[in-house]
Amino acid sequence: MKVHVDPQRCVGSGQCARTVPEVFDQRDEDGIVVLRRAQPDDRLAPAVRKAARHCPSRAIRIEES
Amino acid sequence: MAPSSKPLGTALPDAPRFPFRRECPFDPPSLYARARAAGPLFAVTLWNGRRAWLVTRHEEIRAVLTDDRRFSGAMADPDFPTVTEARVTVDRNERAFVGMDNPAHDRHRRMFTREFSVRRMLALKPQIATIAEGVIDELVARGPPADLAATLAVKFPSLVMSELIGSPYADHRFIIDCAVGRHGLTQTPAEALEKARALAAYFRRLIDAKEASPGDDLTSRVIESHVKPGLLSRDDFAEIGAMILRAGHDTTTNMIGMGMLLVLRDDGLRRRLAEHPDSVDGAVEELLRYVTPVQFSPRRVALEDVEIGGVTVRKGEGLFLLLASANRDERVFADPDRIDFGRDAAEHLTFGYGIHQCLGQTLARYELQVMYPALLRRLPALRLAAPLEEIRFKDDMQIYGVHNLPVAW
Repeated sequence: MKVHVDPQRCVGSGQCARTVPEVFDQRDEDGIVVLRRAQPDDRLAPAVRKAARHCPSRAIRIEES
Repeated sequence: MAPSSKPLGTALPDAPRFPFRRECPFDPPSLYARARAAGPLFAVTLWNGRRAWLVTRHEEIRAVLTDDRRFSGAMADPDFPTVTEARVTVDRNERAFVGMDNPAHDRHRRMFTREFSVRRMLALKPQIATIAEGVIDELVARGPPADLAATLAVKFPSLVMSELIGSPYADHRFIIDCAVGRHGLTQTPAEALEKARALAAYFRRLIDAKEASPGDDLTSRVIESHVKPGLLSRDDFAEIGAMILRAGHDTTTNMIGMGMLLVLRDDGLRRRLAEHPDSVDGAVEELLRYVTPVQFSPRRVALEDVEIGGVTVRKGEGLFLLLASANRDERVFADPDRIDFGRDAAEHLTFGYGIHQCLGQTLARYELQVMYPALLRRLPALRLAAPLEEIRFKDDMQIYGVHNLPVAW
């Protein structure tokens, strides 16, 4: 799985960082998404899919391998 | 002629007057479910005779709320749909980003997102827990009986907001009076506008006070980071501050009142919440789903003709995205009218969706995750002290909950 985030679309709801802190974080200055791991372990995959589905601004895109 | 096999009661009324009355205090109006079964859109008539659309299904609500190209959330738009005449006046005077489209929305919201980031809210959680213990201490000291809705459910979020914003706690009655005066269903336009303006004026004075004497709070930090460098005017900050204040008080208060009523009425729910602290997060999501305090928002106006589920919404027509209906959508939640702390309720839309999704949702979650179990732990004998008939539900408000919750222990 490969994860892409779009900081332009992000509204800083922080729901990804709350759901999978291993993969997503928020910038200190404005709360916008930061990708910590673009290729997360398989065990995190379900939570990453959930974070992408719940993102209110659809700023997370997943490329399934 | 053979009688029709179709039960007479199921025919949907033609563009009925909105909003509807609830038949049961715990469920949205039954017409939501019937409309949802018939299609994703349902035509209604508003107080001013205009037609608007209710969007009733989870999928279509998410689709509209993420389609900023074809739907506008600009509250100043003369076509923006409202449930009352007073709300028109409030909407036309809304200057905070809750009523803006992009790019202006993002520019303003991003000045505040870090104040509500998951990391900052996590850091605040111990203080939230201390505040929770303090308000329960007070309840214990005064002794039973108590009205939980009028006391603790108001005081707790007020103290948390006071801590976060830096507004003196002594002002909380005034802040709540302004928020409630703006959110009712019965005010005159002049009354609602006066309350909206009074809260912005209050926050404008708070900015002055914090400039003179800064503290470790949101207001002082935003003055330093955005007001002083000229990125945000004091008047714009006052409007945004007023929005944050009213949003932070009313909604959490109603979730505490309604949530505790539901838990105290059901031994199974109560036992699960009291005995399984590790399942509290899931229980909070389920209560958020089931209660859905915000009744008549979000709203949008179509910027062009748009077809949804075989129905054409015309340019300039208004839509109500019914979160309470999405949260009972059978397509997403099995047996949706049942509270089940074991289900994954994370798909709920209680905080909205799209660019306007609630800025303070993590704070709200932590407040509830702290308060519900703390009440049951500290007051194991907590019980309702009045029959259901004596509880007054907020059918007169745009944010649903209970006006009173008599308890004893």
